Amino acid sequence: MYSLTNEQIAFIEDDIRRNGIETEEVRENLLDHICCIVEQTMKEGDHFEGVYQQTIQQFYETELKEIEKETQYLLTFKNYYVMKKLMIISGTSSAFLLLVGSFFKAMHLPGAGVLLVLGVVFFSMVFLPMLYVVKSKELKTAGDKGVLGLSIAMGSLLCLAAMFKVMHWPGANVMWISGIGISLIALLPLYFFNGIKNPDRRLNTIVTSVILVGVLGVLFMLTRVHRPVNNTVYQPTGQVEKR
Amino acid sequence: MIFSSELVKGTLKTIVLKLLSENDRMYGYEITQKVKELTKDRIQITEGALYPTLHSLEKDGYVTTEKEYIGKRVRKYYSISPSGNSRIKEKLKEFSEFTETMSFLLDLKTAK
Repeated sequence: MYSLTNEQIAFIEDDIRRNGIETEEVRENLLDHICCIVEQTMKEGDHFEGVYQQTIQQFYETELKEIEKETQYLLTFKNYYVMKKLMIISGTSSAFLLLVGSFFKAMHLPGAGVLLVLGVVFFSMVFLPMLYVVKSKELKTAGDKGVLGLSIAMGSLLCLAAMFKVMHWPGANVMWISGIGISLIALLPLYFFNGIKNPDRRLNTIVTSVILVGVLGVLFMLTRVHRPVNNTVYQPTGQVEKR
Repeated sequence: MIFSSELVKGTLKTIVLKLLSENDRMYGYEITQKVKELTKDRIQITEGALYPTLHSLEKDGYVTTEKEYIGKRVRKYYSISPSGNSRIKEKLKEFSEFTETMSFLLDLKTAK
């Protein structure tokens, strides 16, 4: 039986790596498999590369990368359903907590703070990240995934900022203003130019962008941009005292 | 007659687990050769279907693996785990009921 040299083995490994087999475990398996077949079929006087090319062609229909893709698909498929379930549960429970929490707050009932904090934390730290994981699997281009990632990050930042504001925790304003700022400066242009390229989504992109500007404007309207709290600046003036 | 790969694909996990339950440990190439030999070439497992299945079985904990270095390359041996052993019993039961149902559905006895 023919025995492959180290150079030939290195050649095969390099070739399957270049053809898209990125996971080391898959590559090791395929390498050994190919070596076995080549060593079995190669006869005296056969050319190594010819035999190798013939062998590798039996492995796929259009490209070798299919094996890598199929493996990744099978490995993530299970988690996909678990995550989808977790997403729905966390989304429903956070919506419920927020609704009850705001009712309690409006009625000045005890426990409103705890309910609201739990609701926002569930919403922005569990539901939104899960939404990203589940939705990003359906998207193909890096641009789409980037826009989705940034919008979800900004969404959870703004939710947390609103919670900090309601609870009068420090840092609320910085979070709130940076959330609105990054959305306006980075997310909006990114979303707009990414979507406008695709003729099918052009109208949708324009409409959503306009709505986004409107919503951000309304949110900014609620923002009080006051000077830093400083005793020298905020010394009560005579006028204030007169009131 | 060689069976089509679509037909084989749905039963690949069952085939692999069954083979591993009867053999101590096997590596990928060995599995394909064994299936070929047992079925007299009528079922040929493609590499493109075998390895994704093996990796998914490993992740689910139905098989355990050990690696052996042969010069510059690594050979990964697969053996069945206790949970794989109970899984294959379920799979075999399911498959035998499936074949019964299919022969009834397709009325295979009268078709002969």
